[in-house]
This record gives sequence, structure tokens and C-alpha cells, in this order.
Amino acid sequence: MEAVLQIENLTKNFGRLCAVNKMNLEVGKGQVFGMLGPNGSGKTTTLGMLMSVVNPSSGGFKWFGQESTNDTRKKIGAVLEHPIFYPYLTGQKNLELTAMIKGATADQITSVLKLVELSDRKDDKYKTYSLGMKQRLAIASALLNDPQVLILDEPTNGLDPMGISEIRELIKKIASDGRTIILASHLLDEVQKVCTHFAVLKKGNMVYSGPVEDVNKGPEIVEVNADVDLSEVLNTFQGASAINRENGYFEVTLTKGIKGHDLNKFLFEKGITATHLVTKKRSLEKQFLEILAESK
Amino acid sequence: MLHLLRIDLKKLTNYRTFWIVCGLYFFTLGMTTASGMEFLKWLVRMGASFGTQINIARIPFYHFPDVWQNITFVSGFFKAILAFMVVISITNEFTYRTVRQNVIDGLSRYQFLISKVLTNILLSAMSMVMVFIIALVTGLIYSPSVEMVDLVMDLEFFAAYFLEVFAFLSFALLLGMVIQRSGLTIVLLVLSQMIEAIIRANVDDYVPWLIPYFPMESISNLIPMPFPKYVFMEIQDYVSISAVLIAGAWTFIFNYLAYLKLKKSDI
Ligand SMILES: Nc1ncnc2c1ncn2[C@@H]1O[C@H](COP(=O)(O)OP(=O)(O)OP(=O)(O)O)[C@@H](O)[C@H]1O
Ligand SMILES: [Mg+2]
Repeated sequence: MEAVLQIENLTKNFGRLCAVNKMNLEVGKGQVFGMLGPNGSGKTTTLGMLMSVVNPSSGGFKWFGQESTNDTRKKIGAVLEHPIFYPYLTGQKNLELTAMIKGATADQITSVLKLVELSDRKDDKYKTYSLGMKQRLAIASALLNDPQVLILDEPTNGLDPMGISEIRELIKKIASDGRTIILASHLLDEVQKVCTHFAVLKKGNMVYSGPVEDVNKGPEIVEVNADVDLSEVLNTFQGASAINRENGYFEVTLTKGIKGHDLNKFLFEKGITATHLVTKKRSLEKQFLEILAESK
Repeated sequence: MLHLLRIDLKKLTNYRTFWIVCGLYFFTLGMTTASGMEFLKWLVRMGASFGTQINIARIPFYHFPDVWQNITFVSGFFKAILAFMVVISITNEFTYRTVRQNVIDGLSRYQFLISKVLTNILLSAMSMVMVFIIALVTGLIYSPSVEMVDLVMDLEFFAAYFLEVFAFLSFALLLGMVIQRSGLTIVLLVLSQMIEAIIRANVDDYVPWLIPYFPMESISNLIPMPFPKYVFMEIQDYVSISAVLIAGAWTFIFNYLAYLKLKKSDI
């Protein structure tokens, strides 16, 4: 795997508060990397250090195998936290300014504006834009100069459902060109849909990192119900490691090697016909909450 | 270099406040010279109270080469207006947080600062050219006879004027960068003159030789006040090298401190 980003012992202290603690991480080319963590866990601070706007307290990082300079950043499109533009300039003029800094051409401006569907509002002042339009302009600006890496911090914040799904498609499309995306988000559903890898931060510590597909490798969970009360019967089932009642169903976590049809067979032998039996796909959300709970 | 200047000018030339403040600045500069005759009459009245009789027509206030020092000296007061513009320009970058996005997009912090410093140089140069034109025109109007020798005499006052404006704009840039809020910066910019004057007054009693080294003092020492010569005669009618060196050193220090501040802080 070709590493696009290597982080080594990266640390940031704000006075006594340790916002990022000795982080080690590697992001490979073509990965869509999700950064997860509760509010204040250090996601934006980390991304700020990677973009050289926050000075690390210690440790370092390499982009494309080299020490980062301002020219490195021209190949990285980034929106951190919320869109930042000159309010008195039009959308077009703001992008022209970004293009001047990055060394992007004028026709790229036209095409990114089209991509985020802002072409007909480009000559309005930025301060007159709605939140979603500001967000779109920020994404347009990050896409200028054909970036090798895209860093998005809550990119769908304030977007309408159509906008959110458009961003999702955009991310997938960009990733399919072999480009790398780092995404900080609280929308775990979205992360699960687009990301290939993810890391979980908690109070500045990285408590987990791995591929998203591993999420499904855990024990199977089966949702089950029948016309009769199942609670006692299920307790006698050897293949269950945990049984919970949720949304009016029994949620049975199976032990290793046991599958949903084993449970079905077991119930049938007890003379019970299940009215509902679903093998649940494990959600990233659930895993995320588990990781956070375990890392106490 | 030119690229960095163009980046900063793009931010400014599309900003209405910039045109208003600059328009105001150049308008005031022009108006002051136009109303200079009134000032002359005031001088005469003042002279009269000292028991000196002066014939206005015979004061060579607007004659070459006097006009150079007189007009550069008076114009120096209006640099504060340009400094307000510089303060607004830099504090905007912090209140809008655009300095952060500029760096994210690929400017180094050094380049960001240079883009601001280059604008300061440009503004100072434009102001110098403007003042030169004003002085030239007034000189041509009022001088009884225009001799080439008089015309090219004392032109170093323009170099001093340029440094005076640039040094002050550098100070404004540093202050704006440290304080980051336009209102407070402007108040402090104005106050700093008074604060320094108070400190100077106290220092004067103990170590008077230190006085010319104060930053604001050194800036105002570049072009000495010329008017007393029409009443009392003895004045310094040249630019002193030591004043240039001290003010130049301060200019460098202001910009270097601005660089250190920007480099050290999280933006
Ligand atoms: N400039 C600063 N000065 C002091 N503390 C800061 C500063 N910036 C961030 N912090 C602190 O660092 C910690 C991490 O903040 P950060 O913004 O990185 O969190 P985050 O993971 O992005 O959170 P969110 O999900 O809310 O965006 C927080 O406790 C925050 O209060
Ligand atoms: Mg954040």
C-alpha cells in the first residue's frame, strides 16, 4: 500500500488540555478514511495540524512521503469545520482568489461551480448565500486544482437530503479515480456507506482504527419474535451470548459459528414458529458506541 | 512576489470600504494643500503675536524648494487614514478567519505576510507619488520663477516621506495582527502616540539621548517641522541619516515581529 499520509506521535496541547495525544496513523492511497469521535475528541484539531494551521506540540506527519510545505497543500483540498470565505466577495470572486493561491485555471472554476450547482448564483455575494450554498461553495473550492487528497470536516452539515446524497455520490466518484479522502463526520450511516477505513478518537486518543468491512466480521445478531413469549425459551438456547429486548423484538447475539438458521431450527424443534426472524447487518454506529464504551 | 501582491489586491479592490477610505485619504490630502493659503494667514497672525510683521506674498511657503519639505511634512499627518485601512484589511482576515483558509489553500504564513507588506509598500509609494504631484503643481503655481536647481533640490524628503508612511503602516499591520479586532486596534493605534509621548516626557528627565530611538518619535523625526523657520529662522531643513536608520530599523522590527507572531500562533 502506498501511503499518502503518515502520522507519527502527533500531539497537540492547548495549555493543560491535551486535544490530540500521540497519534499514529497511516492513510493509504485511494482510501476513504473516516475520522469518528464525539464532540471535542480532536478531529478538527488533527486535521488543522495536517493542514499546518495548528502548530503541533510534538510529533509530525508526512504527506506523500515528504515533509509538508505550502506547495504540498495546493494538492490537497480541505474544508475544516465550516466554510470560510470573504463575505463581501461573490462566490465566483472567492473561487478566483482560491484559484490564484492554488494555481488553478479559470475553467476549473466554471466546472466546480457547475458540479455543486451554484453556477446561477455565482455572482451573488457570499454573505447572501444560505448555509447549504456556503457548504457547496466550500466543497467547490476544495475541488479546485484537481486535488490528490480531499479533506472534509462535516461536509454535509446544513445540506438538504438531496445535497447529502449528492455529496455521497461525489465522494464515491472522486474515490473511484484513485484519490484519497479523509472525512470527519458524525453521520455514521454516511461513513459506513462511503468509507473504506475508519478511526475512532476519544478525548484525543485514537482508540481504534481499521477497515470498515471488519465491522461485519463480529458475531451475528438475529432479531426474532413469535406469537408466544420467547423469553424463557431463548434462555435455554445454547448458541446465544446475549439476549436483549428491543423495539418489541428479541435481539439475540449469537456465539461464534452459530447462524440464524440454527436458531430457527431450535425454535421449530420446540414447537414454535417464528413470525419474524432477521439476521441484522452490524451497523458502524453500534460498533462505534461499543468501541467508545470499551475504551473507558 | 508580484503574484502575492496581486492576491492581496484582489481582496482589496473588490472591497467597497477600501475605495471609500482611499478616496477619503487622497481627497483630504488634496484639500489640505488647496486650503494652505488659509493656513499661511494663520501663521501670519501667529507671527504678529510674536511681534513679527510678515508679508504673506513674501513667505516662500509654496516656493521651490521649500514646498517639498512643507508639503511632505503636512501630508505625514494623514498617514493615519491609510493605517486605518491597513488595520481593517488585516483584522478582517482574522475575524473572517480567511487567513486560516489562505494557509489551508496553499499560502505559507510567510507568503501571507509578504502579500500584506507588499500592499503596504504599494500604498506608501502611491501616497508618495500623489504628494509629489500635489507639491509639484502647487510649487509651479506659487513659485515666482521656476529654476531647475530649486526644483531638484531637497527631493530626499520624498524618500523620507515614503519611509515615514511605510514605517507607520508596518506598525499598524503588527498591531492589527496582534490584537485582531479592528476597533480596538484603531483605538490603540491612536493611543500609542500618546502613550509614547508620556513615556518620552518621563524619560526625557533622566536619559534624554534615548528620545530619538523611540519608534513613533523616530518616524516623526524623518521630516522635521519646517514652519518655525518663517518666524524664528533656525530649523533642520534636511533629512538626517540617523533618523532614517532608526526609523528603518523599527520598520524592520515591526514586520519581523508580525512574522514571528503569525508563525507562532494557531490560526
Ligand atoms: N484554539 C483552541 N484553544 C483551546 N482549546 C481548543 C482550541 N481548539 C480546540 N480546542 C479543544 O481541543 C479539543 C478538541 O477540539 P476539536 O475541535 O478538535 O474537536 P472535534 O473532534 O473536531 O469536535 P466536534 O465533533 O465538535 O467538531 C476540545 O476539547 C476543544 O475544546
Ligand atoms: Mg470538529
